[in-house]
This record gives sequence, C-alpha cells and structure tokens, in this order.
Amino acid sequence: MITVKKLSHDFVIGKKGRQTIIPILRDISFSVEKGEIVTIVGRSGSGKSTLLNLVSGFIHPKEGEIWISGEKVSNLNEAKFADFRIHNLGFIFQSFQLIPSMTAFQNVELPLILKGINEGERRKQTEEMLKKVGLLDYQDHYPGELSGGQQQRVSIARALIVNPPIILADEPTGSLDSETEEDLLKFIKELNRDLGITFLIITHDDKVAEIGHRTIELRDGRIFEEVRLVCN
Amino acid sequence: MQLKDQFRFVRQNMKKNKTRVFMTILATAMGCAFLIVLASVGFGLQKSVVKEMTEQRVITQIDVHGKEIADQGGFRPVSEKDIQIFEKLKDVKAVTRRKMLQQEGNFSIGNYQEPAQTVVANFPSEVKAGLELSAGRLPKGEDEVVVGYNFPLNLAIKDAPDDRYDDKGQLKAEYRYTGKLIGEKLEITVRQLKDGKQEEKTIPLTVVGISKKPTREWAEDRSVFISDTILTEIENFTGTPKGYLLDPNSEVPKDQDIHENSFDEVKIYARNMEAVQGISDQLKDMNYATYSVVNELKEVNMIFMIAKAGLIFIGTIAILIASIGIYNTMTMAVTERAPDIGIMKAIGANPKTIKRIFLLESSYIGLIGALIGTLVSYGISYAVNFAIPLIIKQAFGKETEINIIFSDIPFILPVICIVICYGVTIISGYRPAQRATRVDVLKAMRREV
Repeated sequence: MITVKKLSHDFVIGKKGRQTIIPILRDISFSVEKGEIVTIVGRSGSGKSTLLNLVSGFIHPKEGEIWISGEKVSNLNEAKFADFRIHNLGFIFQSFQLIPSMTAFQNVELPLILKGINEGERRKQTEEMLKKVGLLDYQDHYPGELSGGQQQRVSIARALIVNPPIILADEPTGSLDSETEEDLLKFIKELNRDLGITFLIITHDDKVAEIGHRTIELRDGRIFEEVRLVCN
Repeated sequence: MQLKDQFRFVRQNMKKNKTRVFMTILATAMGCAFLIVLASVGFGLQKSVVKEMTEQRVITQIDVHGKEIADQGGFRPVSEKDIQIFEKLKDVKAVTRRKMLQQEGNFSIGNYQEPAQTVVANFPSEVKAGLELSAGRLPKGEDEVVVGYNFPLNLAIKDAPDDRYDDKGQLKAEYRYTGKLIGEKLEITVRQLKDGKQEEKTIPLTVVGISKKPTREWAEDRSVFISDTILTEIENFTGTPKGYLLDPNSEVPKDQDIHENSFDEVKIYARNMEAVQGISDQLKDMNYATYSVVNELKEVNMIFMIAKAGLIFIGTIAILIASIGIYNTMTMAVTERAPDIGIMKAIGANPKTIKRIFLLESSYIGLIGALIGTLVSYGISYAVNFAIPLIIKQAFGKETEINIIFSDIPFILPVICIVICYGVTIISGYRPAQRATRVDVLKAMRREV
C-alpha cells in the first residue's frame, strides 16, 4: 500500500553563502501493507514528522522514492498530489486542524465540496459520518464550542468522509486526555478491522504504538528497529 | 469544486470582514460612478448636438448647391441635365428641384393679402420625396396653384393695423382670412422697375390644394407653388430670369443668363440613411458641391468619439485607484486566511481551486462595486439633467435656448465600465490569488517539520 525506498531528506538553513545542511532522514526504506496499522516512533528530532510530511506530499524528498497504492507520488507536482490526496489519503492531526469559522458539519463536508459532490449527496454523507462519530447533535457547533475529543472526532470524520484507503495520523492523541485517548484508539482499531483502512501513525506515546501491527523506531534519521507485535 | 460552492465560499469569506469589504466596494463604486458620469457628459452633449442637427434636417436628404466649373474655379447652378444624372444614381429615391421667384410675390384674395415665397416645383418628384396635401389636389391646369399649410393662416385683411400679430407672432384671428380657399381665385402681383418707374402686373390663379402641416413643430410652410407657364409669364413681364427685381441704385447683374433654366434648390433623397454616404461620395467625384447631415454627423461623431475616449480614460484612473483598495483587501484576506488555505490544501484542495476562489472574490467585489456605481451614476445623471437647467435659469434669469442633455448614459457605457472594472479587479486580485496558491501547508498549519 505504501512503499518507501531509500528515502533521504535534509534541510538547508542560513543565508546564501553561509548555509548549513542539516540531515533529517537517511536511507529510509519500509513498506506498509494493505489493512495494516504501522506506527512510527522515535524521540523528538528523530525525523518521524518529516517522514510523515514526505509521505503526505507536504514536502518533496531530496532522494528516494515513495509509492502509494501503486503510484509513484514522490515526483508528483503540487496540483497532481492534491488530486491524489483527496482520493487516497485521510489525515488526522495532533492539533485537529479544523477551520474555526466553519461548523462541525461544514468541516466534515469540506473534502466532499473539494471533490465536487452535489449538495444533496454531501448532506446525506456528512450526516451519516457525524452520526458514526457520535456528533450529529453537534453538527452546528463551531470547533471552539467542542471539547478536544469532539474536535478530534470531527477531524476523523473529515478524514473518513471520502472513504480513503489510507489514513496518515500525526500524534493523533497528543492533545487528548487519557480517557478520550482510549476511546480514539479503540475507534481506530474498529475502522481498521471493519473497513480495512490502512493506518500510518506517528507517535511517541507507547499506548498508541501498541495498537500497531508493526512499529518502526527512528533514531537520528535512520530506522533503528522494526518490531512486529504478535498480539495485534 | 462546483462554481456554486465557490460562490458560497466567497460570500462566507466576505462576511468575515464586512467593513473592509464594504469600504472596498464603496471605493470601486465611486470610481465607476465617476467614470460613467464623466463619460455621460460627452454622450449627453453629443446626443444634444446630433438631435439638434437631425431635427433641422431630413437625414436622407442631400443638398446639391451646384457644380464646379473646371477652368474658372467657380460653381454653376444645377440644370435639367444634372437632374437626369442624379436620378440615375443608385439608391436615389427622389430628386426635388425648385425654381424660386426672385422677388416676393404679393398674393391677394378679395380683401385679403399676403406676401409669400413663390416656387415652381416638379410635383411627381415632390410626391416621391414625401409631399402630401391636407386638402384638395395637385395642379393640373397652368393657372392652378398649391399653397403651403401656413399660407391661409397668414392671409390678412388689407388694412390690418401694425399690431396684427400676437405675442407668439401669429396673425390675430380677427384679421385672418376665414373663408374657404380651395377653388377660390387668388391673384399674384409682381413688380419691375421699367424706365425708372415701378410697374406691377397681376396674374389670376386658382387654389386647388393645400399642403400638409409640416411634421416639425417649429417649421412653417407659407410658399405658393405656381406652374412653369406662370413663371414664364412673370419673366416676360420683368424681362429677367425668374422675375429678378431690378434695383434703381444698382446695375443689372451681368451673369443672369446662367440662372436661366437652372434650379435654385435641388435636394436628393436617398432610399435609406446608409445610402447617403455612397451617393455623396459619387457626387463629390463628379465635382458637385453637396451637403448632407450625415457628412456633418460623421465629423461631429468623430470629435465626440475622441472626447468620450479621453473622458473614459480619465475615469479609468479612478477605477485604477480603487483597484489599489481591492489589492490591499485581497492581500489582507490571503494573510488572514493562510491557516484555512493550508488546511484546505492539506486535505486535497487543488492550488487552481484556491486561486479561483480568490479571483472570484476580487471580481465579486469589483462587480458589486460596478453595479452600485452604475445605479448611483444613473441617479446623478438624472439629477444633473434636472438641476442644471434650473441653476442656469436662476443664475442667468433665462432658460437654455436649446434643449441640452447634460448627461446621457447609453447602455454601452455601463457595459464599458463593468468590463474595465472587471478587468482591473482581476488584475489587482491576481497577485494575492497567486500568493494564496503558494501558501506553505506546514507553515500555515504551524506544524513542526
């Protein structure tokens, strides 16, 4: 489903003539199978967020290749990656990334608008999705009027609304309390089991790492260890 | 993304900063109103001038004043031979030709009299050109005449006092001839100086027809149409072509012979307005001196076209100034909405879609401004046309002689304004829209890399 081949990336800082190259990722190769939950763990600065941003297409890799659903995405331009993203990828962010001036309903509806779905169909699908995440009664609330858990559920509903085969999550429980965290992890497991959605999750939380079928640990921009968890 | 949804996005975004958007729309509306009102003065004055010109003249009419004499450089009058040439030209409907009696004929009927212009006309061509009678018929006999519509209205009793006319210059009813005119005997008295003495000759005529009232309110037709035979009789008496009246203080003109069998007033009527230019050009090529209102209109329209283009250019500067406001508003909007743009891009919004939304927003502001500006300018135009004549009357104590239109907004003017405004807003919104597409997703979402 996701294949990363010999991926390297670095950042250049400083003004022209006095630039410093900071290596972030070095020679990363791994793959994620269909229906798998893979967690990427590592300390702060290990390069895990950069890895997710590269897979998401938010930044372009300096070296290496990224394949998703059989398509080489590492050399797609911004417009083409945007089209690919709306049909294939869902995103869950640590800080939810909801648009504050839009209601829960409008936030969830947004990907469908971008896909060009008609209004009637959008309403039906959005209400179904909000019902699924238990927020139908909150559809007219703005993000500022919802709790952290509720906001994350809106974020998940927005990610799921276009039925993506893959969801990329960046510290999905980072802003949640322990009770809400457990609910969310349970929900992710259900989605994986019932709908066969593939998850690639970045986390530094052991509890989150435990729900994965495999865990990849990054250290100093390189894969340090890859562990398959039997219980999952 | 559907266009309907893009419009919904634009409206939502505009609601977020109502005051700023309102001020930008206001600036655009003012720019548009300025452009339209400024140009409307050019359109209004042109309309007034053209109206004045076309009201005085028939638009399909070409006056022929004579033909240039190749060697001598002067002009000779139009002859019967020339008329035959004119009648053969393409798209010529009629060629009217008139000979004028070169003295004022004094007409009398019983105890009433009236001096009037005496004309010999070719009636078949006059009818083709549009001559109609209000009563009677066209002349058949040599002594039969047709009189103008206003002739009987000015037929006054012989011993009428000097104050026979009212304030409007009309003959007072008590001095006016009230009897029937058709079939009545009318006498024409012509004069000539013979051996130092003035002699008179009276010729009896019969009125058989009265022409139709002139269509133009101000026009007055008091002429009397006599036959060629009567004119010959007058010429025999006066001894001069067309009854030229000799003056005791001056010599007899030597070039009188050129006026023999020539016409004093020749008018060519084209089938339609479009044909006038072609006929005029052909006549010009044949060295005829012509005048048509279409030729004059062409020159007047050219001058006004240059003036209007200049006014529109000046007005466009106001819109360009307003476009700075649009540019500023859109730049602020992009800066403020960068996090939202980042999120939209992160979930799959195409950069083209983002660009289109911002361009739509700037053009939306421009178009609303242009529409409001158009409405306001119609109001200003109406007020100007209403108020300026009043101001002139108050300031100078009299009304404007000509019915001047100070401001006129034809349909094309708001269209030009909207097109200019739309173009300018697209240009001013383009750079901010382009900037919106370059918003970095990660920076916008304030995520660590």
